[in-house]
Amino acid sequence: MADAHAAQGAHEEHDHKPPFLVRWFFSTNHKDIGTLYLLFAIVSGIIGGAMSGMMRLELAEPGVTFLTQWTGGDLTAAANFYNVLITYHGLFMIFFMVMPAMIGGFGNWFVPIMIGSPDMAFPRMNNISFWLYVASGIVITLSLFVPGYGSNTGFGGGWVMYPPLSTNTGNPGPAMDLVILSLHLAGASSILGAINFITTIFNMRAPGMTLHKMPLFAWSVLVTAFLLVLSLPVLAGAITMLLTDRNFGTSFFDAAGGGDPILYQHLFWFFGHPEVYILILPGFGIVSHIVSTFSKKPIFGYLGMAYAMVAIGFVGFIVWAHHMFTVGLSVNMKAYFVAATMVIAVPTGIKIFSWIATMWGGSISFKTPMLWAVGFIFLFTVGGVTGVVLANAGIDHYMHDTYYVVAHFHYVLSLGAVFAIFAGWYYWFGKMFGYEYREWLGTLHFWVMFVGVNLIFFPQHFLGLQGMPRRYIDYPEAFAYWNHVSTIGYFVMIAGLGVFVVAMIDAFFIYRKKAAANPWGEGATTLEWTLPSPPPYHQFNELPRFDKGDAKAF
Amino acid sequence: MTRDATMKRLLKAAFVAMTGMSVWAASVAYALPEQGGLGMVPAGSALAEEVHFFHNAVLLPIITVISLLVLALLLWVVFRYNAKANPNARKFSHNTLIEVLWTGIPIIILLVVALPSFEILFKEGITPDGKQVVSRGDGQTVDFVFPNDFPESRMASRAGHLQVILDDGASRTVLKNKRDYSVDGWGERDLVVSLNDPAPVGTSVIVRGGRSTQNVSGCPTIKRYFDGCEKEVVLEPTMTLKVNGYQWNWQYAYPDFGDFDFFSNMMPEDQTTPELYRFEVDNRVVVPVGETIRVTVTANDVIHSWALPNFAIKIDAVPGRINETWFRAEREGIYYGQCSEICGVRHSYMPIAVEVVSRPAFEAWVDSQRALAGLEPMFDTDEVKLAQTANADAAAE
Repeated sequence: MADAHAAQGAHEEHDHKPPFLVRWFFSTNHKDIGTLYLLFAIVSGIIGGAMSGMMRLELAEPGVTFLTQWTGGDLTAAANFYNVLITYHGLFMIFFMVMPAMIGGFGNWFVPIMIGSPDMAFPRMNNISFWLYVASGIVITLSLFVPGYGSNTGFGGGWVMYPPLSTNTGNPGPAMDLVILSLHLAGASSILGAINFITTIFNMRAPGMTLHKMPLFAWSVLVTAFLLVLSLPVLAGAITMLLTDRNFGTSFFDAAGGGDPILYQHLFWFFGHPEVYILILPGFGIVSHIVSTFSKKPIFGYLGMAYAMVAIGFVGFIVWAHHMFTVGLSVNMKAYFVAATMVIAVPTGIKIFSWIATMWGGSISFKTPMLWAVGFIFLFTVGGVTGVVLANAGIDHYMHDTYYVVAHFHYVLSLGAVFAIFAGWYYWFGKMFGYEYREWLGTLHFWVMFVGVNLIFFPQHFLGLQGMPRRYIDYPEAFAYWNHVSTIGYFVMIAGLGVFVVAMIDAFFIYRKKAAANPWGEGATTLEWTLPSPPPYHQFNELPRFDKGDAKAF
Repeated sequence: MTRDATMKRLLKAAFVAMTGMSVWAASVAYALPEQGGLGMVPAGSALAEEVHFFHNAVLLPIITVISLLVLALLLWVVFRYNAKANPNARKFSHNTLIEVLWTGIPIIILLVVALPSFEILFKEGITPDGKQVVSRGDGQTVDFVFPNDFPESRMASRAGHLQVILDDGASRTVLKNKRDYSVDGWGERDLVVSLNDPAPVGTSVIVRGGRSTQNVSGCPTIKRYFDGCEKEVVLEPTMTLKVNGYQWNWQYAYPDFGDFDFFSNMMPEDQTTPELYRFEVDNRVVVPVGETIRVTVTANDVIHSWALPNFAIKIDAVPGRINETWFRAEREGIYYGQCSEICGVRHSYMPIAVEVVSRPAFEAWVDSQRALAGLEPMFDTDEVKLAQTANADAAAE
């Protein structure tokens, strides 16, 4: 025992890392697992982004002109392919890009460090959590290559997977069964990860760091973890029922057998609505830190910011049916969901204004992370206010399932969550990898992408107002103009991502400038900036203390 | 057969013969979305006008101002508090007053939004149940009875729930409460409308009542802000349209007019214009103008969604469920919609086309459909007229 202990001590002293296979495949180190999650998210992001590119190319002009080139001119196969693209674009971006990047990647990397903990509470569970995600990603990729509808491969029923389109009536092939398996694995992974975060945050904070002194990113991950633990089991239940409906003759969602397709929608959105906050809340945390750091000011209204997230998380559980205003709910039920949904605007507004107030009176340097954060604040506001429009069921009867909805949720996700991810990436890049990126490349990346995504998604508001339904491979002539603009926007965005790739290759292989422990100066007050860049393999052998004198909140 | 009736029938037939072409030419232009269009498609019903007002004149200004306010604050911060302009950061992190304000003001804004929102929601969500009683004026009678026999929650209970109209055959005059008439018997089964002056001989007194009221079509925006629009009682549906979604077409039935139904498929590209391709169908839904249409929607296989943007309605067609919505077209014309719930590979190719026609044209159309189904005419037995209707249909194609 004594020897073992001594050996471990020696490891820590020299920051000794295990050999490659052990380090990256059997890893129990929160930072390495975080890096793996980020790599996973990048791969998924490339797949999901390529899919959106194929969709935009198809939609560049009316008529089915692009995807038929992939299917040898077969229109039905092209249409199924399009439906597969929209489905997997959604699933990849939500489950395999944003979630692993924010929670698995940044959460794993920085929650333990920010709360002054040496690692996560359950390092081995952290490992299985990641590898379940990989298994899930492999299974969903496999599902792309097995039959779904007829002999056409992949499941093309939308990421929401509504029955009967997702049962044997609409997609009898095994693709849907693999999607279900994949989501079960991803769900199990996320639940394990969430339990790990909750335990870590409740039990492993540095001495004296009360919850009310905890950095906002840790708060955001804590709330997110609760949402995951409470909502994912409901999804698991729903897709299990779907599985038995498909394979074992049950009829939970089959009207002919006494079931109800709408039951699935209730269960799905009871998960699905908290899910959208799962995607954005960690982004709120990231943006809070960045705004505070670069303004050289403490967060304005720290407690309000923390409890606004708690309120958003709570209210997020009681608004699900606003995704279902057209399914035939009673008018009183719709009225309730309208009211409950609008309530969310209040805590969200508190956050937006608190970020601005944090900047107010500051001495702001507009480095790359801050550009992304400020871009996030504005674009999330735009996405938020269109959400208020959609919350009104009386209007939603017009807007539902049109491009207005597509524009809305891409403003909060593609321009909200993704901007927050890039903000976090640039903010912590030096910390995570020990190298700096070239500032002007980061700035250029931001501006090109800012123009690109706005060009993609702003015209989609107009398409929605004009009544263009979503999930259409082909559309009437009248919708051609704005679709064309939108597709041009996609190319601008891709150019932006090209700059990103260049910036990263440059940072790792050409520029190779060593990052300082704290490159951001006095504004960066959280614990990760007290460690070298990159941090040692094991940090905080001696715990930082917050119970003596300097008890500051972040 | 009287001479009068014959004339009427001839006129009707002539009208029908013209309807097809004229309606088609007049309406297509305004009902469709526009290339590069920015706003909502034109409203085809008074209720859709209320929806447009709510979006265009209430929500859109509010969200634009909020977005611009945030943008302005951000720009101010960027210019005023950048490191060059403000080298020394201040350290405040609390201000109770401003925090209370930015919690309270949004709540007030949301309340302002919620009131019209609920009003529209309930108007859309409750199929109108207004009734009308038509009486002959004899130059003496001033009292007209309106049976207020609604369920208690739907009873006419204030002046706004009643509408009194004088119809002299050529024109209609909407009478004003207190100035032209008074109402007695609130809370009882029978409401008595007492006109100040007796209705002249030859006029009809139309009393409409019920809680399903809406602003009349064409009310100016400024009046809508102050709830100053003339209101009308929307009458209960005159017919039900049964919609059944299939992969990938729509089936329509008219249970009030006999056992016939038909499928509506998208018109192939070579049989329609470029503007109408993917909107136009082979068999349009035909409904009468100015009448409340109850739409019941279900599906045969997977979920579809029956949408008509011009009337601001969209209702999912769910297997095993019958959903209901309604609309009342203000103007004749052809209105288009598209399936709005993903339903498989031909989701993009099952459009919806509704042709709103006059009552006589509608009746002629019903009889032509009945003839196709081998049923006796319902409205008219005149063989000549039926033949002409068939011609009119052919001309319209």
